[in-house]
Amino acid sequence: MKIDDSTIRNKYGKDPGFKVPENYFEDFNKNMVAMLPDVEITPVDVKPTMWQRVRPLVYLAAMFAGVWCMMSVFNYFNGSSNLGVSVVAERMTEDNKNVEDFLMSGSVSDYDILNYEDSVAMSNEEPLSNE
Amino acid sequence: MAAREKYDEAQVVEQLHDPKLCKAAFGKVIEHYSSQLYWQIRRMVIDHDDANDVLQNTFLKAWTSIDNFRGDAKLSTWLYKIAINESITFVNKKKVMNQVSIDDDESFLVNQLESDEWFDGDEAQINLQKAIAKLPEKQRLVFNLRYYDEMKYDEMSEILGTSEGALKASYHHAVKKIEQFLDEIE
Repeated sequence: MKIDDSTIRNKYGKDPGFKVPENYFEDFNKNMVAMLPDVEITPVDVKPTMWQRVRPLVYLAAMFAGVWCMMSVFNYFNGSSNLGVSVVAERMTEDNKNVEDFLMSGSVSDYDILNYEDSVAMSNEEPLSNE
Repeated sequence: MAAREKYDEAQVVEQLHDPKLCKAAFGKVIEHYSSQLYWQIRRMVIDHDDANDVLQNTFLKAWTSIDNFRGDAKLSTWLYKIAINESITFVNKKKVMNQVSIDDDESFLVNQLESDEWFDGDEAQINLQKAIAKLPEKQRLVFNLRYYDEMKYDEMSEILGTSEGALKASYHHAVKKIEQFLDEIE
């Protein structure tokens, strides 16, 4: 709401017509300091403002936001797809088949397993001495 | 002539709580605020000598209670509050001394303006001061802060502890009353 005080302003201006003695403020300042009594001051930490308190957090958040933006821009210009972590993880696990998967599909028979165990056992045997 | 040192409020407030630096820091506060506080007080009490006394009391009160100032509010807000309270107390005391009813307006302060050594205004300026003196205390304060100091409503709100809406309404009423008073006497 703009309050219209132009009638007063135009007619009377902003000078109330008051004046002060010459060098009044210079003299006042000097005399005032001289008349200050001794007081006991307790040293305290002045309460920091809200901005001073949150400033480190804001800077940290801005830094992370900047890094994220840079990575997004980098991804965009390299033509890579928007692969999320979950999609990548899914692809990585796609090729990892367990032994159980082979057994279930019947591609490894019991005979193959026994053969494999024998070969391992033989390779672990100590070599015969020449004596 | 030595260049005046730049006033850094955050640094001054910090120094005010250092026993070794506080007096020098308060000297900077006086230097920085004496003029603006003087004019605010002068517009309330009208007479120069009275304004001088009230300004001294304002700084003495601020200095003796500087330990209570923790920097929660702006230094200017705190000083203005003290200055306004001191001005109101002074005017009420003067009313009692002059046997004016406490409910009457402050026109008695303006009546001797023409003979005041430290007033060089014309008749129009005296009439404006009379019109302002007829306002209720709160409206007079709001009018002086807004019209002469061009203080923002949010800052005024902190000093006077009144909502911005109420201050705007006060200023609006003050302007209308002054216009009406000036129309009547012309």
